[in-house]
Amino acid sequence: MSEVREEELVPPPPAWGMSARRWLWLAPLLAAMLLPFLWMVALSVSPQAGNSFTKALEGPWDFSQYRTLFETGKMGRYLLNSLGVAIIVVVLNVVTAAMVGYVLGRKRVPGERFWTMGIVATLMVPKQTLMIPLYLVLARLHLLDSYAALILPFAVDAFGIFLVRQYVTQLPIELEEAARVDGATDWQIFREVALPLLKPVLAVVAIQAFLTNWNSFLFPLIFVDSDHLRTLPVGLALMSQTEHSVDWGFLMAGSTVASLPVLVVFVAFQRQILSGLLAGAEK
Amino acid sequence: MRTHSRATAWFLASPWVVAFALFGLYPFVFSLGASFTNYTPLAPDATRFVGLANYARALHDPAFWSALRNTALFVLGTIPFTTAASLGLALAVQPAFRGRTLFRVGFFLPSVVSIVVLSLVFKGLYASNGGLNSVLALMHLPTPAWLQDPRTALPGIMAMDVWAASGYYMIIFLAGLEGIPRDLYDAARLDGAGGWARFTHITLPLLRPTLLFVLVVNTIRSLQIFAEVFVMTRGGPLGSTTTVVYHLYEQAFSRFQLGEASAIAYLLFLLSLGLAWVQMKAVGAQEESRG
Repeated sequence: MSEVREEELVPPPPAWGMSARRWLWLAPLLAAMLLPFLWMVALSVSPQAGNSFTKALEGPWDFSQYRTLFETGKMGRYLLNSLGVAIIVVVLNVVTAAMVGYVLGRKRVPGERFWTMGIVATLMVPKQTLMIPLYLVLARLHLLDSYAALILPFAVDAFGIFLVRQYVTQLPIELEEAARVDGATDWQIFREVALPLLKPVLAVVAIQAFLTNWNSFLFPLIFVDSDHLRTLPVGLALMSQTEHSVDWGFLMAGSTVASLPVLVVFVAFQRQILSGLLAGAEK
Repeated sequence: MRTHSRATAWFLASPWVVAFALFGLYPFVFSLGASFTNYTPLAPDATRFVGLANYARALHDPAFWSALRNTALFVLGTIPFTTAASLGLALAVQPAFRGRTLFRVGFFLPSVVSIVVLSLVFKGLYASNGGLNSVLALMHLPTPAWLQDPRTALPGIMAMDVWAASGYYMIIFLAGLEGIPRDLYDAARLDGAGGWARFTHITLPLLRPTLLFVLVVNTIRSLQIFAEVFVMTRGGPLGSTTTVVYHLYEQAFSRFQLGEASAIAYLLFLLSLGLAWVQMKAVGAQEESRG
C-alpha cells in the first residue's frame, strides 16, 4: 500500500505505449478539428484556387493576396486600430483592476458590499442587453463614432476587478500591516507592498482583456460608423459583405491576419489564459 | 493606530464608481425607463409614457416569436452535443500521456480566434462550391445549398458552434475532473468496478456542479448568438437564422424602434436572470444536500 502512495506523489513519466495508443485516435481527431484553419491558410496563399481546397494545396503559393489586402484594402488601418485600441484597453483594464480590486479585497472603501454586488451583477447581465442604453449614453456624451467609443465603455472591466479582488483576499495581510507600523501611508502600501504581489493575477487580467477586446464585434460594429475607425473583426465582416463577398482567398488572408496576434498571445501565455478561464469558472 | 485614509480608498475605488454609474447603472435604469416610453433619439422632446405598449408590440410581433423559436432551436440543438463533446474531450486529455498539452491547446484553439474569422471560414466551407460540398460530391452524397437553404442554414451555424465551443468547455470540465480525489477511483478499482461503472458512479455524480455550470453558462451564451448570424447569413434566408439578439439589433439599428428594442432587451435580460437563478438554486441545493 505504501508503495502505491509514493508512486502517486511522484508520478512516473507516462509509458510510450500508452501514449501511442492515445495518439492513434486523438491525433486524427485534432487534425480534423484544425482542418478549417488549414483551409483558411491554404486559400490565403493560393490566388488561383478560388474556393477549392484541393487546388489550394497544389499551389502555386504566394503572398499576393496579403499584399492586395494592405495596398488596396484598408487592412493596415483596421489592424492598427485594433492593436491601438486593444493595447490602451488592456493598460486601462490592468491599472483599474489593480486599484479597485485591491481596495475592495481589503474592504477599505465605504459601501464595499454595494460595489462588489455591482460587480457580480455586471458579470451576470448579458452584455448585449446593454447595447441600446450604452449607445444612447455615448450619443449623449457626443462620443459615438470615435476611438473613445471603442475604449471608454471597456476601460474598467468587472471581470478583471473580480479576479484581483479574489486574489487579494487570499494574500496575507501581515506585510501591509508591518509597512503601516513603519509609518507608510495607504498609497505607499498599495504602490510598494501590494502591487508587486499582484503581478501574477494582473498578467491574467491583461491577457483576458487582450483576447476579449481583440475579438470584440457587436459594440465596435454599432458604436463606430466611419471606415477609418473600424477594428479588424468589424472591417473584415463588412468587407466580406461588399465587393469581396466571394473573393475567398482575399477574405482568408484577412482572416489569417486577424488570427495571428491572438495565436501568438495564446501560444506564449497558454498557462495564464487557462488559469484565467478557470478563475472565471469558479466565480 | 489604524488610520486608513478615506481619500486614498475612494481614489482607488473611483474607476469602478465612475464606470459603474456611467456605463452600468445609468444606462440600465435609463433604458428600463425608455422601454415604457415612446422614446426615440430622433425626437427626444416628444417622449411620453406608454406603459407596457412596447412589450405588447414586441410580444405581438411574429418576427420576435420566430427569433425566439430559432434561438430555442439553437440552444436545444447545440447544448447536448457541445456538452457531450467537451466532456468526452476532457476525459480523453485528462490522464497523463506524452504530448497531452499539445492536444489540450489544440482543442482549445478555436476558442481564442475571433468569431468573425470562424464564421468567414465556415461560410467558405459551406459555399455551394465550398470545401464541404466537394467532399460530399466525392462520396456521391447530396450537396445542399447549406446557408442559402432555410432548412439547412440554422443547423449549419449550430454545427459550427459545437465545433467552436467544445474546446472551451473541455477546459472547464478538466478543472472539474481534477477536483475529484484519485483515491475514489482506486477504491472502486479494488472493488472491481469497470471503466463505465467508475464513470457513472464516481465521475458523473461528482462532476454535477461543473456540468450544471457548463449548461447554464453555455445556455446564456447561446441566447446571445449574434456575430455568426451577421457574418454568415444576415438572419436569412427567410428569417430562418434570425436569433433574438440579431432581431434586437435589427429593431434598434436598422428600424430605429428603440422602445420596442429596449423591451426585447429586457425580456432577454429576464430570461438570462431566470437561468442564473436556476443555477444558483441548483448549486445551493447541492451544497446543502452534501452537508
